[in-house]
Amino acid sequence: MTERLQIALPSKGRLMEQTSELFAAAGLNVRKTGNERGYRGEIEGFDNVDVLFVSASEIAWYLKTGKAHLGVTGEDLVQEKISDYATRVVFLKKLGFGQADVVVAVPRCWIDVETLADIDAIAGRFREAHGRWFRVATKYLNLTRRHFSEKGFSDYRIVESLGATEGTPAAGTADFIVDITTTGATLAANGLKILADGVILKSQANLVASKAATWTPRHREAENELLRRLGA
Amino acid sequence: MPAETAREFEALEAQARTLMTTFIKAGHEAVAPAIIQPADIYLDVIGESVRARTYVFTDPDGDELCLRPDLTVPTCRLHIERHTAAEQKAKYCYNGAAFRFQPSGRDATHPREFRQAGIESFGAADHEKADAATLALVIEAVKAAGLGNFKLRIGDLGLFRALLAAADMPERWRKRLLHQFWRPEAFRTELKRLTVAPAGLAGSLPGRLIALIDPSKPQDAPRLLAKHMEENGIDLVGARTLAEITENLLVVAADVRAEPLSARTAQLLENYVGVVAPARAAGARLKDVVRSEGVDISAALDAYHRRLHLLAEMGVDVVHADFSAEFGRSLEYYTGFVFEIVSPELGQGSPLAGGGRYDGLLKMCGAASDQPAVGAAIHTERLLAAKRL
Repeated sequence: MTERLQIALPSKGRLMEQTSELFAAAGLNVRKTGNERGYRGEIEGFDNVDVLFVSASEIAWYLKTGKAHLGVTGEDLVQEKISDYATRVVFLKKLGFGQADVVVAVPRCWIDVETLADIDAIAGRFREAHGRWFRVATKYLNLTRRHFSEKGFSDYRIVESLGATEGTPAAGTADFIVDITTTGATLAANGLKILADGVILKSQANLVASKAATWTPRHREAENELLRRLGA
Repeated sequence: MPAETAREFEALEAQARTLMTTFIKAGHEAVAPAIIQPADIYLDVIGESVRARTYVFTDPDGDELCLRPDLTVPTCRLHIERHTAAEQKAKYCYNGAAFRFQPSGRDATHPREFRQAGIESFGAADHEKADAATLALVIEAVKAAGLGNFKLRIGDLGLFRALLAAADMPERWRKRLLHQFWRPEAFRTELKRLTVAPAGLAGSLPGRLIALIDPSKPQDAPRLLAKHMEENGIDLVGARTLAEITENLLVVAADVRAEPLSARTAQLLENYVGVVAPARAAGARLKDVVRSEGVDISAALDAYHRRLHLLAEMGVDVVHADFSAEFGRSLEYYTGFVFEIVSPELGQGSPLAGGGRYDGLLKMCGAASDQPAVGAAIHTERLLAAKRL
């Protein structure tokens, strides 16, 4: 592996903008190298650091495999993409942006349901009446499974959903959902409510270090200097 | 993890021949169900939790398939394919690969690909006899394969069901407790809640509405619910109907008004769950536990004793077997007798073989009704490892 520290930063969207602002405020001037549309960059004054611009979900994979030493990505993505995240990465600093909650939401008309235990209590009768388990639409397969299994809830099926998850109960493809929300407005507009114990994770952008990457003293030196500037 | 060597493979094959010969001689027909199974079946039968340990994939047609995590469900499906009514008596045996993701890492006794050798017996009317014959045959097979030192653990979910049926409480609470039996923590919480404050079951549900609904006047409930929804601007969304929601609100309303579960009944259930004893002595212990409360589960206890007696007749050393009332909790589809063969070297976390009665599984796999079924599977890699230790 190269002696240069690899840091993966979001390549697009709000997360990219907020990451650049954060780095700029810390006096770290990140710029792209070569082509303006390229995916590599550098930090001014750091001749031993490579910047990799990739999508936030890919950053989780880079950290998991050790392709990057450091990365900026959402905690939700790390927990979802890395099944044994506690042994693979270290969360160094919450960055104060990209806040979103991963929540369990059910139709508001389920007047008789306020907690996961309430769903558990009706799952058997639902199955008798409809000939199938409850379907949960989500893109967070692992987070959902882990959370439900911790709560002892197992009478459900996951339907993988890659977009417009909040519309699936009305469309009939799922009965309730696990999704990300910032204000809850989209959920309400789709006739859904968050369970009283439905917040699975309060996520935000984090500076994350990979334990899978090869760390040399030179890498550590670069990391320490970056962390000092970022106040981590 | 090193690749499997040819020698290891041959040792397993030789062992499998011994196991299968024993099964076939006892009248079990050798079958080879498909390795690739529709994922649906497993997820619907065993629940989503199994998916976390199953290799699920999508084929080019977009169908969701899986590598079988065991051979019991595939054998049930094979039986139903052959006999649509599934009432036919049949005895099967198999030896084949099964696949499980090992979340806490793979090792020699927790491989992701392993061979299961097992038997299933469907439709036998004499349950205790079929239970005993299944366990006796598995013990005969592992002994024939060269296992000398092992420990037998047994449990009986039929006893718990009988106890629950005899205990004084509304039927809906029995269902709740049976449903939670698999999760010791949740079971204790549920028991406590029913004892202290069944009204707590309503939790954060709209109290005013619950108070208005009178369980003795179910005909009024739909109107009250409709009014509540209209006043709060709530539309009906999703597959659950108003009738289903109403029905459950009536259950909640009944719980809110119900007398709590008596502390003595709760204690009885707790005492039962805590019983751990040598198999022979366990019957007497259980009798003591229930007698003081005037609860009658003698039919289930008789079945327990008769099974032990049959096992002894078939040459099984029941004197050194251990009974635990809690045993079987982690395996949701079992309905009666359960057992495990453990080696002192590998310990309880890695049983060499296990099995039991699962009268509901054939129906869950598509049969028209519940059918008597009992079976067992041997983890052949562990058996081989235990013999070498």
